[in-house]
Amino acid sequence: MGKINDILSPFTAWKHLVNEPLTVKKPLEREGADRYRGFHKNEIDKCIGCGTCEDICQNAAIDLVPVEGIETKDGDSGLRPKIDYGRCCWCALCVDICTTNSLSMSNEFKWIDEDADNFLFIPGADDKPWNNSEKGWKKPDYNLYDPNRVDMQELHPEDRDKSFIEIVQGYSKEQALKEADRCVECGICTATCPAHMGIPEYIRAIRNDDLEEGLRILYDTNPLPEICGRICTHKCETVCSVGHTGDPLSIRWLKRYIADQNPSERFKEILGTDTIEQNGKKIAIIGSGPSGLSAAHYLALMGYSCTIFEKLPLAGGMMRYGIPEYRLPYDQIDKDINYILSLGVEIKYNVTIGKDNTLDQLHKDFDAVFTGTGLHLGRSTRIPGTEHKDVHFATDLLREISLGNEIPVAEKVVVIGGGNVAMDITRSMARLQNQKFGKVNVIATSLESEDIMPADREEIVEAREENAQIIPGWGPQSIEIKNDKITGLHVIKCLSVFDEEGRFNPKFDENIKDFFEAEMVIESIGQGMDLSYLTDEIKENLKMDNRGRIIVDNNFQSSLEWLFVGGDIIQGPDVIHGIANGHKAAIGIDNYINSKK
Amino acid sequence: MKEIIDRLQELYPIGDFKQQNKSLALITVDKDKAVDFITRLKNEEGFLHLSIITAVDWLEKNKFQLSYLINNPTTKNSFVVRVMIDRENAEMFSIHHLWEQAATYQRELKEMFGIDFPGSPGVDKPFILEGWHEIPPYRRDFDTKNYSEETYFPREGRTKNVPAEYMKQKLYPDE
Amino acid sequence: MSKLFNIKEDRSLFPEKNEQGKIDIDLSSHKYLKLWHGPQHPGITGNMSLEITLLGDEVMDCETHVGYLHRGFEKLMERRKYIQCFPIVCRVAVPEPDFNEYCFASAMEELAGIEIPESAKWLRTLVLEMARLASYLMWIGGQAGAFGQGIIGQWTNYLRDSMLDRFEELTGGRVYHMYIIPGGVRGLLPSGFKQRMEENLKFIEQMMKDVERVMFNNAVFKKRSVDMGIIEKDWIYKFGITGPNARAAGVPLDVRKDNPYLVYPQLDFEAVTATHSDIYNRADVRRRDLLMSVDLIRQIMAKMPQKGEIRAETPNVLHWKVPAGETYSKAECTRGEYGYYMVSDGSEYPRRINVRGPSYTHAVSLLEKMIINCNLADIAGLMVSLHTYPPEIER
Ligand code: SF4
Ligand code: SF4
Ligand code: SF4
Repeated sequence: MGKINDILSPFTAWKHLVNEPLTVKKPLEREGADRYRGFHKNEIDKCIGCGTCEDICQNAAIDLVPVEGIETKDGDSGLRPKIDYGRCCWCALCVDICTTNSLSMSNEFKWIDEDADNFLFIPGADDKPWNNSEKGWKKPDYNLYDPNRVDMQELHPEDRDKSFIEIVQGYSKEQALKEADRCVECGICTATCPAHMGIPEYIRAIRNDDLEEGLRILYDTNPLPEICGRICTHKCETVCSVGHTGDPLSIRWLKRYIADQNPSERFKEILGTDTIEQNGKKIAIIGSGPSGLSAAHYLALMGYSCTIFEKLPLAGGMMRYGIPEYRLPYDQIDKDINYILSLGVEIKYNVTIGKDNTLDQLHKDFDAVFTGTGLHLGRSTRIPGTEHKDVHFATDLLREISLGNEIPVAEKVVVIGGGNVAMDITRSMARLQNQKFGKVNVIATSLESEDIMPADREEIVEAREENAQIIPGWGPQSIEIKNDKITGLHVIKCLSVFDEEGRFNPKFDENIKDFFEAEMVIESIGQGMDLSYLTDEIKENLKMDNRGRIIVDNNFQSSLEWLFVGGDIIQGPDVIHGIANGHKAAIGIDNYINSKK
Repeated sequence: MKEIIDRLQELYPIGDFKQQNKSLALITVDKDKAVDFITRLKNEEGFLHLSIITAVDWLEKNKFQLSYLINNPTTKNSFVVRVMIDRENAEMFSIHHLWEQAATYQRELKEMFGIDFPGSPGVDKPFILEGWHEIPPYRRDFDTKNYSEETYFPREGRTKNVPAEYMKQKLYPDE
Repeated sequence: MSKLFNIKEDRSLFPEKNEQGKIDIDLSSHKYLKLWHGPQHPGITGNMSLEITLLGDEVMDCETHVGYLHRGFEKLMERRKYIQCFPIVCRVAVPEPDFNEYCFASAMEELAGIEIPESAKWLRTLVLEMARLASYLMWIGGQAGAFGQGIIGQWTNYLRDSMLDRFEELTGGRVYHMYIIPGGVRGLLPSGFKQRMEENLKFIEQMMKDVERVMFNNAVFKKRSVDMGIIEKDWIYKFGITGPNARAAGVPLDVRKDNPYLVYPQLDFEAVTATHSDIYNRADVRRRDLLMSVDLIRQIMAKMPQKGEIRAETPNVLHWKVPAGETYSKAECTRGEYGYYMVSDGSEYPRRINVRGPSYTHAVSLLEKMIINCNLADIAGLMVSLHTYPPEIER
């Protein structure tokens, strides 16, 4: 029976004879699925050319190439991925990891060409029929690296607003490793760092838990890591690729982690600076701020004997006398400076050039002179009432605090300015008010609206946490004085600060007014330089621009070839530019001295 | 699985016991005792199934690690029996008499790692490669990238740019 | 020998065996013919070749040659970061890449101590069963085709294609899915997926009835497959035979049951077995296994969570250092025990990855033994009945 069945049963296949065929008639007209991994697309303006897609591609199918019309600028390499479809395996890992989320894939899968070399193209830049296709692979709902920053431990606002103890606690090892892990090693940040620090390299050193290597990388470009690790303006973080779809890397805190973890006693051993061959040349440096220290450091490494002349009783310049201790503790400044001193750099304190010694004398006694005297003079808004004795400059007050002198504190204070110095004095005032009156009443007001306030975001947030009021977007009009006492500040609404060309040209609406009560007004709208140490003869030969700034070349050499100038008086103002200037000037000085021989 | 090892510990020098997961344990045995030990596990302890034989090249220690993965189909447990042998004139005793497919594994190991298994059928015959003149390719010191660069040619029309270097070139070439 | 194949009893023409039990083949006697079967032979699964020596129509000796597909994956992986191995592994077995993806990912997760989210487990199980189904569907066509029944291949390849459509919408790829990423999976079910899948499954079941009628209840097929190419029960462990080849002989080896992984413990199934591992039996075991996959897919779709995380948090994949250690992760693929032996030295690159594909034993030592005395016309059918994929032999 079974046998018969086995012969007849196969004939049932014939029943399909009358069925419609199931095959797809024109398979080429079939659309790929919604998630199909087809040809690449790239939103070319969103892409920043970070090359992370290239890094992950195991087929080496991606090259980063320049694209016409796309400029290299801060935060954008100007390169764009070009894909070789002779190699691509359509894994879409490049899409999944793209830091800006600009890269995706269409669901198109047909591209017919006789020439194999045509299958190389730049998604987004080359005109392709699938550029506008909506469907296709997009980054799924997961992350191949952590987009969220490891939170930094900070003192609670209540614990910190009475004292000047350092607020930020620093990363633990575990936290630092976790944060360092987020870096995609693209190196986009390096260009933006004024000192062009090897950021991805030292972050890698953290990941490898090789902090000595990390320290060496730091000192390659920055001899003040403890300081920068705390108060650097971290411009690098504003361009960090990871920041495009998440939080940028905490580059500054990671730098601090390296500096903190290496004991200062071992610095010379780690950095290999136990013995430095001296070349017998002498360099004078005016000012022990960041640029002066940086120049001294790199010159000392080259074998120069450096002498720094400092006007104040301690070294550090604005880092010590401009930045409050809760942000930058003095012992950390000392740690960095002591290391530089240990290289044989000498500092003469309480020496004011132009008074105790002259520039001409330095020119005679030394082979070259570097000056980085900084911006220490407060600038005034010059509105009516600023000549009153209870109107102060922020820089003066901050310096007095650091010198340990008592400063006047009123119950109600208004600070004019929206930069970091304004925040520093606001928060210092808040602390002093707290100590003195047990409550805080300080207002900081700036021309700029909150989104364009020059102060670091966290400074503003923390100031508010400490009960200071930050009221941006107002232009100061006059200080009201009654019975010889300040009663407050009149302001009008500021509509915009810059004109279309980006020039400083504030526009106000005079009809919207406000009045901030105050007994004391602090101006913090910028600082000026004091170049009184330049003698008339020197001034005559020194090229300056129409705003009275000394003109220097790329090596920070002035038109007097023995005189090099750097720091805030040239660029900035901030610490990291000073460091970069000092470093370049050191190289410039070395070239200059070698060329003299 | 620990229990088996505890029991056999006296007879065989077994080291580095590690219970990797519920049903897999790692152990290391001396080269001279290894075949004996594996035979014992197969014949007396029910480890009837050989999953793989493979090698790991510990170039920096100048050793090859041979890994025998054997499984007990009744208890569903497996051992990775690891044997460290010298990298120079690497040689190991064959187990083709225990499992037929062992000969194939050994033949492959000879070809890919240069580990000899004297007496293993066909061990000297090429398995995957034909006309191979370099060092055995799965050794760590064989550089595949280098080999392919020397043997093949790159595609025309490709240029490489490293973002950070390119930015330096464009934005601050002199620093 | 006659137990293996139905061959004529008159063995007078046969050469004498030598002491090793092998025959002395003297090609100059003109009695023998050397023939290369493959690597481009339609009856060979994949690119491998058999160097056979024939006496008349009967195979006297055979040597397997592989290497036509050798891309050195294991070595390539040592030079790539872990995440970069992920797009490579699927290429080790083309018709069912997912087992590679799963074994690779799970070995890595075990070493790194990562627990994947619940929905990812279900989704992984789902694609593994889909892969099994698709792969069997292709295999059935091959088995029927090897015995001259072209129509079955036409049907089942269409069915497989419908499964690839589901793969395409779930994973974004038809053949290489690259879906089981270390840490989880790459997407949830698209909307309407279950319904479309159910339609496919219904059609598959319906067509499988036809396949049964036309292929299995077929005098010709039976004539050529029953009692042909028997795998003796005592060979199972001797040759490292696993999967349907072993189960057809009554040894219920099935990793899904033996060392349950993913969500298999929550699914209701039994290892499919038979008693007598001849070509017919093995085909039947695979057919029933295929239908079981249909059932498992239904179970999974009914029980799986609707939403949820798809991937666990992992270190940045660009510099993921997997802690030093070694492990072996295995799964039941259509051909048996599929496994990845992974050794990490704690760096960003795997120290060694060794892939165990069942074909390694099935297509080399086992085939070389079984093919002796086989009729030339039956070689293809015998080989397909062992269900071998050459790429997993040479990797
Ligand atoms: S990862 Fe994204 S942003 Fe970066 S280069 Fe590639 S496409 Fe552009
Ligand atoms: S899809 Fe994969 S292979 Fe293709 S370019 Fe992207 S990362 Fe490379
Ligand atoms: S810190 Fe950010 S920008 Fe810099 S290398 Fe890392 S990921 Fe790139």
